[in-house]
Amino acid sequence: MTTGTALRCWRCAHEHPATLFCPQCSAVQQLSPQIDYFSVFGLPLRPAIDEAALTQQYYDLSRRLHPDLYQTGTAEEKDASLNNTVLLNRAYRTLRDLVSRGQYWLELQGESLGKDNNRVPSTLAALVFEVQEKLAEVREARETGKAESCKAELAAIRTELDGQMGRLRGALGENLAQWTGEQRSLDLLSQLKRLLSEIAYLRTLSRDVEKESEALWNA
Amino acid sequence: MERIVGIDLGTTNSLIAFVDGDTPRVIPDAQTGDPLLPSVVAFLSDGQIEVGQNAKALLADQPLTTIQSVKRFMGLGMEHVSTEDHRRYRFADEAGIVRFALPSHPYTAPEVSAFILRALRDRAEASLKEPVRKVVITVPAYFNDSQRQATKDAGRLAGLEVVRLVNEPTAASLAYGLDKKEEGLIAVYDLGGGTFDISILRLHTGIFEVLATNGDTRLGGDDIDQRIAERFLLSEVPETLRHDPHVASSARRMAEQAKRALSDHDETQLRLEVPEKKVQLTRVLTRKELEAAVDDIVARTLAPCRQALKDAGLEPREIDEVVMVGGSTRMPLVRQRVGEFFGRKPLTDLNPDEVVALGAAVQADTLAGRRKDMLLLDVVPLSLGIETMGGVMSRLIERNTTIPTSVKEMYTTAVDDQTAVDIHVLQGERELVQDCRSLARFKVPIDPQPAGMPRVEVTFMIDANGILNVAASDMRTGHERSVEVKPSYGLTDEEIERLLEESIDFAEDDVTHRLIIEARTEADTLLHVTEKQLHQYAVFLEPNEEARIRAAVSALQEAKSGEDYNRMRDLIEELGTVSAPFAQRIMDKSIGEVLGGKELGRV
Repeated sequence: MTTGTALRCWRCAHEHPATLFCPQCSAVQQLSPQIDYFSVFGLPLRPAIDEAALTQQYYDLSRRLHPDLYQTGTAEEKDASLNNTVLLNRAYRTLRDLVSRGQYWLELQGESLGKDNNRVPSTLAALVFEVQEKLAEVREARETGKAESCKAELAAIRTELDGQMGRLRGALGENLAQWTGEQRSLDLLSQLKRLLSEIAYLRTLSRDVEKESEALWNA
Repeated sequence: MERIVGIDLGTTNSLIAFVDGDTPRVIPDAQTGDPLLPSVVAFLSDGQIEVGQNAKALLADQPLTTIQSVKRFMGLGMEHVSTEDHRRYRFADEAGIVRFALPSHPYTAPEVSAFILRALRDRAEASLKEPVRKVVITVPAYFNDSQRQATKDAGRLAGLEVVRLVNEPTAASLAYGLDKKEEGLIAVYDLGGGTFDISILRLHTGIFEVLATNGDTRLGGDDIDQRIAERFLLSEVPETLRHDPHVASSARRMAEQAKRALSDHDETQLRLEVPEKKVQLTRVLTRKELEAAVDDIVARTLAPCRQALKDAGLEPREIDEVVMVGGSTRMPLVRQRVGEFFGRKPLTDLNPDEVVALGAAVQADTLAGRRKDMLLLDVVPLSLGIETMGGVMSRLIERNTTIPTSVKEMYTTAVDDQTAVDIHVLQGERELVQDCRSLARFKVPIDPQPAGMPRVEVTFMIDANGILNVAASDMRTGHERSVEVKPSYGLTDEEIERLLEESIDFAEDDVTHRLIIEARTEADTLLHVTEKQLHQYAVFLEPNEEARIRAAVSALQEAKSGEDYNRMRDLIEELGTVSAPFAQRIMDKSIGEVLGGKELGRV
């Protein structure tokens, strides 16, 4: 697997294209902290990935890089394996989940969700209104000791939110699958931003419902 | 390759294990064969210290100076000490780090734990016949940063190099997974004497990946004993005696025995005897009564199970196997509740007391470079962050993030011309600072600037032990300030150095003391025998022989009253040599008498 720029091995000073292990003396090499997460796994720069293959690759790389395997090694080896593993863990955590991978892709495009993320996305306005109203009802019922009667209602809200989340994730997956190579599509980009913003908002809403559920079960 | 051994430093019992060829083995006590060392340390009024069974035997006699379950105090400040603990022990200070008030001087929890670690090391050195210096120690997965630091400190104080801290359920999964060659999703339910952990792992071709962990570091078998004891005291014991430390301590031991008995029997006898207080009470306890009394304690373990599964994105029925760890999982009620929760019969064929130590030994072997076929991918159990405006905790690292990991975040100032930025490091899941555990505070000096202008980059790095390091730098000046986070209730490096020096002196004193006592005892025996022989068998003495023996006797008597055990040994040997021919003659005569007697009998 190559990682872009050329490197000089710390052990044998052999010049080589950046790889995890020196082709000459097989010493572990330090990855550049600037490397993108896809390249850490030797994947092409595309946001649609095979998640099972990613996990397999993560295990394979861990088995070769993990600091536990370099405890008796030199200071350089320990350092390289620690830094590489930190990077590998972060890359895996980011890429394995569809939503965090989408956010990372957005960052790679030089964009972010930004400050307007707190505004209710217009597509969700009706749902948000409905859920907030029901939550207020449930809260009141709980405070007046009628908790039992609300449990079913709250469960229905959760099912609805879960369904909505499923639909949004599906749409996100489709969006990410349409990105090919380096080319940048403004349509895809604005759709990606909208989906991520809706998902973020839905998560906040789900958290509110979750909190109320906990309070209800503890009542 | 230097050997590394595995230690399970438990709340109730501790163990030490090593890998023998390919097989991990627990090292038992050489005399009793018991693999468990009770985690009890007794401080006697003459300055002597007892560890293990000997200490446990002193619990009833001197409950205040016999420390039990010291693990519960690791990394804590006085504000975390419960009223029950205040009743149980005497503490040296009202605030700050926990120090037990003990006969010679106050001891912190890591110092007390170090005595347990030393006893384990001695056991291993005697068995392996080689010095043991490097160790892997297990900790509850849900231990926070302070508790982990305290455990490392205990190791250092015992003169050990703690190569790695491994989470207990993860260690157990290693022993289990390698044993069964298992693949798939497993849940490790670890209910020990004082702590509870639940970990969800994916096992895949030698990789042990922790997906999520949760728990409660103050929930365990101790709570069950406490509940039984409390109920008994309340219903059977006169009020005037209930809070007496001797009575309370005896009641707890009685409760523990009853709990064990009820794992195999339907009913047992609770018997409380405190001769000093003329107390002798008995009552029958059935398993049903026990289960009703402690059901809520067992039920408290299920909320962490639910949360861990949720964090792993799994439903209970997706778990392929539930592994039970910790002595408390022997209780039928625990097995039943866990079985109901996961919808499957938990696996109980491993020895729940030993599996953590065995796993620690396996991980130790990997770290020693002797094993390459397995790898642990563990997580940080609690989120880490720093305090931001308005007393809000800003999370930098989420719980269940695979370690090692690091994260950088940029911060600025809220007031003009600040000369320093205060960094308050927190751990926990709650939003408000006051609800999280404060790990450390430090200041980063910056150049005065208008509010919002300075750029301070804070880097959190969690190493493979789950221990946090924080670095901060002023991006404008490039002044970097690397800070090793020293916990608010930990020992400083200087304190550890000082304690280490003291303990080495102390250890030498200890050994010297023992050698003197041994030499004196031997001298006494020899002097006694010699005196008796001189009196009884004077007829066998040759001319001048008595004078020579008498001289050796008085020299030894004089040395015996001193402290020089080497001189005592020399004089013991001298007396032996001088009186050897005399002793030989007595021996010959005795044999002659025996034979003569027989002959006489035949006549």
